Amino acid sequence: MRELVARYLSRNISRRGFLKGLTTAGVSLTAAEAILDSLVPLANAQEASRVAPEAIKVVEGTGGEVFAEQLIASGVKYVFGNSASEDAQFYEALVDRPQLRYILTPHEGPGAAMAAGYVKASGEPAIVMQAAVVGMVNAMGQMFNAFKEQTPLVFYSYRTDQSGRAGRDGFEEVANQEQIVQPMTKYSWLARRPDMIPETVRRGFKAAWTPPHGPSYISWHSDFNDQKTYTEIVTQDKVDPRMRVRPNPVEVERAAKLLVEAKMPLLIAGDELYGAKASPKAVKLAELLGMPVTQVRQIYANFPEGHPLWVGSPPAARIASLDFPKTPDVVINVGNKLQHNSPQPLVGREAKFIDMRIDSWSMGNVMNTEVPLVADVGYGLDDLTAAVEGLMTPALKKKAQERAEEVRRFSEKAKALRALVSKNPEWDRSPMLADRVTSEVARFADKDAIIVHEAGSVVLHGFDFNPAGGRELFFYYGAHLGSGVGTAAGVKLARPNQQVICLVGDGSFVFGPTALWNMARLELPVITVVYNNHAYGGPHSRVIEKTAGGKMVQKRQFVHDYLGSPDMNMALIAKGFGVDAEVAESPEQLRAALGRARKATVEGKPYLIDAQVARMGVAWADKPWIPPISIARERTRKV
Amino acid sequence: MRFPRKPVLGFLLCCALLHSSAFAQRAKPPGFPDGPGKDVLLAKCFQCHAPTMWQDHRQDRRGWESVLYRMVGRGALWTEDEIGTMAGYLAAAYPRQPAATPK
Repeated sequence: MRELVARYLSRNISRRGFLKGLTTAGVSLTAAEAILDSLVPLANAQEASRVAPEAIKVVEGTGGEVFAEQLIASGVKYVFGNSASEDAQFYEALVDRPQLRYILTPHEGPGAAMAAGYVKASGEPAIVMQAAVVGMVNAMGQMFNAFKEQTPLVFYSYRTDQSGRAGRDGFEEVANQEQIVQPMTKYSWLARRPDMIPETVRRGFKAAWTPPHGPSYISWHSDFNDQKTYTEIVTQDKVDPRMRVRPNPVEVERAAKLLVEAKMPLLIAGDELYGAKASPKAVKLAELLGMPVTQVRQIYANFPEGHPLWVGSPPAARIASLDFPKTPDVVINVGNKLQHNSPQPLVGREAKFIDMRIDSWSMGNVMNTEVPLVADVGYGLDDLTAAVEGLMTPALKKKAQERAEEVRRFSEKAKALRALVSKNPEWDRSPMLADRVTSEVARFADKDAIIVHEAGSVVLHGFDFNPAGGRELFFYYGAHLGSGVGTAAGVKLARPNQQVICLVGDGSFVFGPTALWNMARLELPVITVVYNNHAYGGPHSRVIEKTAGGKMVQKRQFVHDYLGSPDMNMALIAKGFGVDAEVAESPEQLRAALGRARKATVEGKPYLIDAQVARMGVAWADKPWIPPISIARERTRKV
Repeated sequence: MRFPRKPVLGFLLCCALLHSSAFAQRAKPPGFPDGPGKDVLLAKCFQCHAPTMWQDHRQDRRGWESVLYRMVGRGALWTEDEIGTMAGYLAAAYPRQPAATPK
């Protein structure tokens, strides 16, 4: 039979000849057909290797080896994983493949956040690996973030149940593991055979990286990693549809006409600008029209905040809450997801609305869309700008210049008013105002620093973010907490030559500090500043709002918000992970601590500052009440 | 829901998370006695906040000023005169009271 197989694979006999040979040798026709089917992938692989040897190669090895080979062919440099015994053959494969760098992460959540941070900051593919379903569920919080933030991150975990015993409720087995993640992945799949591992990997990366981006999940039974297989490895560019879409030219003309005829157009910037590196194109369009620019909730700062056409973000997350312009008649959104958190539409119905995005799925969900421009925003802005230029008459140019001057006057006034934050009578207090901590960090940060922001309800000011070569922002848009420290580690991995500062609230920090250990081991010199008020400040205020005048307020008894007694010392936690750290109580101490942090990072070491922040707000007692629970006192035996 | 776990500061919340009933209330916020500065306060604060956020807060003028300057840090664009006027009104309408004793 071996000779028959060899002759079939080398095309010396036909399919019919192969079947005839087997049946002549005593194999039943049904069995012969099954054998033939199993040879199809090999035959295809051999065919492929003849057709395009530079892009496709046929590899024989364990499932773990072909997994590693395909990751390399898919352009992966970093694998982020937590220890998983059933991935043994994959680890074995890494020994001979140093180009695939494995980052051991002590918890799957921060590990996935680190992978996502790397992907976002580098634009390069990465994979995050977990041990079976037990690791997968740990990573799912960050999978949720990747889904909300449209991060193209591939997740993998094997099924501990092997193919020969699946379905028996075995160790770490859950039915339909790959289906658990379906609502928050673009694609999830269980490879059915070892030789289909590379194909599944390719499809995972293709799904994640085809716009609009998002996470994907791939899986297979763990015994496939150990089995020998023979299959094809294909470079990712051979399966990538390279989806970059130009907008419908008819719609472009309509949008251009609306914009040039508008009395007061407004541009909302969004994250698709960052992904397409198209922020300068948005600047060009805004300048052409003298059009003010704003941004609602997103990950990145997508427009230069120091530009005279920048009017700031609306404080109440609706365009109507902008101080200027009060009544835009045409609003164009370029690449913003427009997350709606209130019943009111983000842009009022009175304005004509142009929506330029690659994510057509969410267009029109809430907003009435006068002109939909489904496009890569880079191409879309090129085409729209050209169309606007074609319509600009001398009179329209004069109107645009006058409008630009009006916006500039507002912008300068707004800048002066924002600076009033330091007039707070408590500015020099200790423990510090959160605004003071922000202000000190803004003063300290490099001109091209990257700020990873997971500092609760702190609103950043004074940074003048600029995606075109200035300071950059990575905000926790997805809001599954515990992402900040991991994200910062991943960002530094991708951008080692830029200062990375992680701003994180105390509550967020304790959800995911384990990436500090990665910072120490990998010598990722990140500065982490914890805003530590020993409380969940946001939930405190919102609960009071919902129960105004209620018993909690009258008795000052809140069960849900105070994280003190005992106070958590984040500096000691950091030191436990091998990161040097200190507590800063006052603005002077913070300034000195930032100086020491700079020195540490210059030397290649991460540093953490536990900045003590005051609890400000309704009904905070100096020593907040805590529920009188002491199990020690309830014991009947002192053991 | 994880989003509300905001661990820092945060006296007042953007109205993005409020219920529609809160919007209805916001049109005519009750419980604000007449006085100098009331009009400025109502014009400036209620696009983001429901009146229930204020109901239980009592502070002196310095405390209210601090609250208002913290709102500047969150995007409010107010002049020093406007902040002074609002702080004066709030200190008169909602002055500091002895804190309740925790039980």
